[in-house]
Amino acid sequence: MGDDGFHKTLAQADDRIVAGRAADGDTAAFAVLVRRYTPMMRAYARRMLAGSADVDDVVQDAFITAWQQLPALEDTAKVKSWLMRITSRKAVDRIRAHKPHADLDDVEAPAPEHLSPPQAAEARAGVQALGEALRELPGPQRECWILREIAGYSYEEIAEELEVPLSTVRGLLARARKHLIVRMEQWR
Amino acid sequence: MTDEHDTPDLRRLGVEPDDLDGHTIEELGEYLDSGRMPPDPSIDDSPGCLLALDALERLRGLTPGLIAADDAAEPEADEGWVQKILTGIALDARPGRRIPIAAGSPHADLGITEGAVRGLVRAAENAVPGVLVGRCRLDGDVTVAGAPIRIRVDASVPYGQPIPGLADRLRAQIAVRLRAHTELNVVGIDITVHDIQLLPSPGEEGR
Repeated sequence: MGDDGFHKTLAQADDRIVAGRAADGDTAAFAVLVRRYTPMMRAYARRMLAGSADVDDVVQDAFITAWQQLPALEDTAKVKSWLMRITSRKAVDRIRAHKPHADLDDVEAPAPEHLSPPQAAEARAGVQALGEALRELPGPQRECWILREIAGYSYEEIAEELEVPLSTVRGLLARARKHLIVRMEQWR
Repeated sequence: MTDEHDTPDLRRLGVEPDDLDGHTIEELGEYLDSGRMPPDPSIDDSPGCLLALDALERLRGLTPGLIAADDAAEPEADEGWVQKILTGIALDARPGRRIPIAAGSPHADLGITEGAVRGLVRAAENAVPGVLVGRCRLDGDVTVAGAPIRIRVDASVPYGQPIPGLADRLRAQIAVRLRAHTELNVVGIDITVHDIQLLPSPGEEGR
């Protein structure tokens, strides 16, 4: 098989093979992971950071950390959710660095007014409305909700990641959900 | 938008304890998170709670769509981006343990890195078209000359060919390479085939 064919085969290989090779030091395999998961990690970081320009920095940091820590990843088939967690951590670090005194029990979300023009990418109307409503949330509520619903963290894991008490996580998540369902109801 | 409101909802969604027969959105969210288990009649029999639970479930139902739309809105990673990241990691090869090689002279100290041995193992795939080697582990104390070593590798194989034959060929190729380039006392090569891959069709391969 030619070199081209080989690269195609590697690009189509499953996560366990590709991440396993990258863990063993194969940079071509790591490049496959970068191509495969950059859009997902960017999208995720963009939601977490809500419009900050730091998205690419966060994703790049996440990949560099991933390369360093890959040898310790026991089940390489789970590399996707593992990358998501590293991206979460980098995004949270970035948010904290920018807002050193952010008050986690901050203000409620502003009273819903009207939906701003939907972004073209969020094709379906309900999804669009959810995307908009999410952007309206105060940072800590949004971060909590994203960690829970998009990254699949447990309440305990969120508390650890955000370095806040479990009771704070419960409160933030409840307020986020409250705001979102009211918003979605208005949209219906 | 749905138009199924023949019988308009008599109750409107409320999110405060007064609307929820004393329950809170926090409780209801966690009730959903636990799969509504164990059943709580004070929630299940409350119209206000059921409205809120429905709303929470609709919200949850939209989340996969949001993730998909967000992902789809991001451009593919361009080569400049990929190279930028690879440049950031290139200096960090993974040498692993140092494996001694007997020197002809007492003044020489020869060795090969574990990372290089893994590279040799991976290269065996070139002799078995369509096979890809994944993670490779060297079990045993490779730093001691003559210590028994087991090689464990993951592999994927192309669709449509008998797996045992491919595994045997890969195993033989790995053995040949290790004998030629190392002095490892290899007592076994375990190959785990966990994936069967459809290869690009010949028509696509030339592109």
